[in-house]
Amino acid sequence: MQFEFTDDQKRFRAEVRDFLRRELTPEVWAQHRDTGEQGMWSVPFTKAFRRKLGAAGYIGMGWPTEYGGGGRSRIYQAIFWDEMEYARAPGLDRSITYVPNTLLAFGSHAQKEALLPRVVRGELAWFVGYSEPEAGSDLANVRTRAVDDGDSFIVTGQKAFSSDAHMADYSLVLARTDPGSSRHRGLTLMIVDMTSPGVNISRHPTLAGWTHHAVYFDGVRVPKSMVLGEVNEGWKVVMGAIDFERAALASHGLVAFQLDRLLEWTQLGSDQGSPPIQEPTVQDELVRLAIESEGARLTTYWLASLHAKGLMPQHETSLAVLVKRETARRLDSSGLEMLGPFGPLRHGSPAAQLEGDVELEYRDRLYFHFAAGGFDITRNVIALRGLGLPR
Amino acid sequence: MDITLNEEQDLIASTALAFSQEHAPPATVRELETTENGFDPTVWKKMVEMGWPAAALPERYGGAGLGLMELSLIIEALGQASLPCPLFSTVIEAGLLLVDAADEAQKSHWLSRITAGEALLTVAMLEESGRMAPEDIALKLTPRGDTLVLQGTKLFVRDAGVADAIICVARSGQSPSDLSLVLVPADTPGIRRARMTAAGGEALWQVAFNEVSLPGHAMVGRLNAAWQPLQNMIARGAALKAAELTGIGQAALDLTVNYARQRIQFDRPIGSFQGVQHHCAEMARDLAVTRLLARQAAARIDSARDARREVSIAKAKASEAIPALTRTAHQIHGAVGYYRDYPLELAYHRAIAAAASYGTAADHRRALAQLLRDDPRAFRGENP
Repeated sequence: MQFEFTDDQKRFRAEVRDFLRRELTPEVWAQHRDTGEQGMWSVPFTKAFRRKLGAAGYIGMGWPTEYGGGGRSRIYQAIFWDEMEYARAPGLDRSITYVPNTLLAFGSHAQKEALLPRVVRGELAWFVGYSEPEAGSDLANVRTRAVDDGDSFIVTGQKAFSSDAHMADYSLVLARTDPGSSRHRGLTLMIVDMTSPGVNISRHPTLAGWTHHAVYFDGVRVPKSMVLGEVNEGWKVVMGAIDFERAALASHGLVAFQLDRLLEWTQLGSDQGSPPIQEPTVQDELVRLAIESEGARLTTYWLASLHAKGLMPQHETSLAVLVKRETARRLDSSGLEMLGPFGPLRHGSPAAQLEGDVELEYRDRLYFHFAAGGFDITRNVIALRGLGLPR
Repeated sequence: MDITLNEEQDLIASTALAFSQEHAPPATVRELETTENGFDPTVWKKMVEMGWPAAALPERYGGAGLGLMELSLIIEALGQASLPCPLFSTVIEAGLLLVDAADEAQKSHWLSRITAGEALLTVAMLEESGRMAPEDIALKLTPRGDTLVLQGTKLFVRDAGVADAIICVARSGQSPSDLSLVLVPADTPGIRRARMTAAGGEALWQVAFNEVSLPGHAMVGRLNAAWQPLQNMIARGAALKAAELTGIGQAALDLTVNYARQRIQFDRPIGSFQGVQHHCAEMARDLAVTRLLARQAAARIDSARDARREVSIAKAKASEAIPALTRTAHQIHGAVGYYRDYPLELAYHRAIAAAASYGTAADHRRALAQLLRDDPRAFRGENP
């Protein structure tokens, strides 16, 4: 067991931190921040920034070198994710984390050759078309159909709760290819070019102010060469992909940022009165938050250690995400409370503290409770797959 | 960075667990709880043969020179099996304190005996306040010529009924940290022992020192120089109690998951109910976090860097999470767990005993709040 980072890992962290500090100056923040987008940055800036990440060699550093990856240990990748989250930087989403991981694990040589180098250069944005109006936590209830038509499938159906679909170049779409099948059998995962005729997107505003999407596929032609994995074996691919997805969500940077921001704010305080940190109850809550944060940090790097050893953690991933997200939510609510009457003040209000970010994030991160396997689904995974409890 | 056990550590952990579980059937453990010394000397002898008391002591005295990290894996296994033994008193408290504070003659005399299984030792520190603060130590050391005289009463002394010697923490000056260590052979006149009885069955003693006279060479380390090595001992104790709590939590979780798989109600195993599953998932979550924090604390002490933050985080979390985990375990077991002959009670009682030892959750949160006020960088884990 080695709880310390190596000198090289520390150097790498400092390098990433410097890169992000140079790129995301206060002026850049002021100019490109856009709370109308899920990533809180404008779409053009997010896309441009991802190319910079690619040029700096930060995308795919944990992947094999064959398709443009960096061939480095997963610990480095975890450090990079950590720092990206800490800096609240744009572009750290599925497009550079679990979608390409899924391609690596299940894609054909031709798919990998065509797509992964572009991913590594930061050129591609993806959305994941799993959920539907009637298939959320119960994903096997997918109703989108893909009908065999020679060397293509013709896809018809509706995807819902789709993050960032409006900026996506490609999507992973889960569709039923065996019309006589039910539940998790007869499903196929395919890569769909979002510029294909028949793809339409509608927008649904969320509580946090950004828009979610529903994506309609109306007779969209998808070449069979774009099937990911085997036909009718999509469930296996999706389950593998979900483990990758959760691994990417388990970074600690967000939690570290929230805690540091609170530590700083409670020491300065508002314009009125004495710094909150002088209150014993505030100190005790900060201590409790620091304890939980450290637990989340260790679960993050425990997971990265398992990956680095070449193991394929499954329920461990869910556990790490649960710890991280619950800790982040506790920081959201404790932060709001520590701000007292200023807590609910929104961005732009007179006397708003921390630019109203705490209130915004309290709203925004509601999705931690339900997205990508919410708290309850994650508990199910730990109980069933981790502890072997019966269905 | 690699937060997984290496091969050697994996072997230590699995060997320790297999041995502990073999030698601690619940009925035997309960029987031992009613005895004065609380453990089975023949099992302890086997542990000596396995090299456990020698594991973390220096090779020069017959030890294996392993770290606290490796010792913590043994303690975790002992906690998981509820196997009582004098490893904590003899090695984690007395043995490693001697390594830190004693002169060469004392070390070679006592440490070689500990590693050979020929001596049991303990440390007498706590008094009526129950706190580990230096100012709360009142037992008085008075030098009379070449003789040291001890007067006062200690509490919570582990294994004082069998220890060949007690290392007594005594006040030797006015300043709060003016403390000294005196090694008192068990047969010294003027010592009176009374067994305390506590949840979990650990053999804790009240030990009164009444005009106990010792020769000058019974002093361990220099006069008034005990506080630094005692702080090290307290850190080790807290880190390894967190490891013990990890083992206790694992035992409670294992029993609970097995029970939930087998217990049929409403025509199905209760473990198929989501309410039960979510309880179990939360137990697994808290246990995983506690284990990582406890191992980090032990590893941090091994690294010889400032470990205040890591140790207090681990013990605060373990002391709160693991007793709560055992309560959830009982919730799922229902009435069965309430019976004396069902083994879950072993974990339930040991959890509160270990949580109370070497600082409660609140004590360690208070220490972290102090660190936050005094040294915010250290609080954030940024100290070199």
